Amino acid sequence: MIMHRPAAALAVLVLTVSPLYAQDRRLVERLDPVTSTAVQQLVDSARALQLPTEPLVQKALEGSTLGAGGDRIRSAVGALLGQLSRARDALGPAVTDAELTAGAGALRAGLGAETLQRLRALREGRPLVVPLSVLTDLVAEGMTTELAARSVFDLARTGRPDDDFVALRRRVQTELRSGTGRGGGARPAADPPAQRP
Amino acid sequence: MRVDPDDAPDGTLERVIAELRRPMRLDPALDQRVLEVLRRDPIAPGPGIDSRARRFRARWIAGVATGALAAGLLVAVLRPEPGTTRPIELRLSAPASQVVVVGDFNDWDPDATPLRPGNEGGTWRVELRLPPGRYRYTFLVDGRRWVPDPAEPRAADDDFGAPTSVLTVS
Repeated sequence: MIMHRPAAALAVLVLTVSPLYAQDRRLVERLDPVTSTAVQQLVDSARALQLPTEPLVQKALEGSTLGAGGDRIRSAVGALLGQLSRARDALGPAVTDAELTAGAGALRAGLGAETLQRLRALREGRPLVVPLSVLTDLVAEGMTTELAARSVFDLARTGRPDDDFVALRRRVQTELRSGTGRGGGARPAADPPAQRP
Repeated sequence: MRVDPDDAPDGTLERVIAELRRPMRLDPALDQRVLEVLRRDPIAPGPGIDSRARRFRARWIAGVATGALAAGLLVAVLRPEPGTTRPIELRLSAPASQVVVVGDFNDWDPDATPLRPGNEGGTWRVELRLPPGRYRYTFLVDGRRWVPDPAEPRAADDDFGAPTSVLTVS
């Protein structure tokens, strides 16, 4: 193969420099070399799939700060990569990084991809970060996934603003923590808050 | 989620108004292009210049300028504001000599975000400005005790054993 001299020089430059640019300094500085390399490969995979990379870096840094071992960090970052990919499949390509991160959290909490798809359809063209986060929080507070999804769908269906989702979460949180809620199978806060004027 | 009441949660209207108030930045080459047209075809009054042609040329230039202005305005209004952040205050009531917060917003760096002791005894606080999103975080008390934020939901999973909270910024 004949290559012109400037083109060959550029190719050599790209091949030499790009791996250096791809290295995230935070990973190199905060993780042991084996873990840093493994996490970097996961980050590169995410980039190749056009998934957000920052949540993966943050997960690794979280593990480092909280004193986790390398195996555990690699496992957590790998799991998050899979959840981001599934979240994108469920929510579609026209989704922000913040929505993908919130979607990954919802999947991690045990909600199904079909729940994310349904919410996307109900909130077509509107931001999803808060509804997805509230959905995840309700499940984390002990509500069943079915009841949490139904409560959030009720609000999404009627086009409620983000504040109403947050109000729902606060009501559930207050009731469950005070012991008055019956989170498992009841409907303590499923009734949507009053419509804003 | 704690958002300053002055910052309306939706804020679309305020964002559009802010964009409309922002000075327009036209393509710097526009002036140059218009001047080149004028130099190439000078509009000088006198015999041989058809007034209809002059009017047409002036309208053409005005049309191009208006189109550029409208396109710029449309792009400015429709473009999401990249630096939009919300004021957030984190608080923790704990008898301690030092409290810091680590989370997705500061690279989990224990040196990055110390809390200040408030006026009330034992209440520590810090103000942050965060873009919309979902953030995991936890407090580190006296350099040895991880404490989740009692005011916000616990994370559904504690991947690394320490209790963490989640903050949603809308």
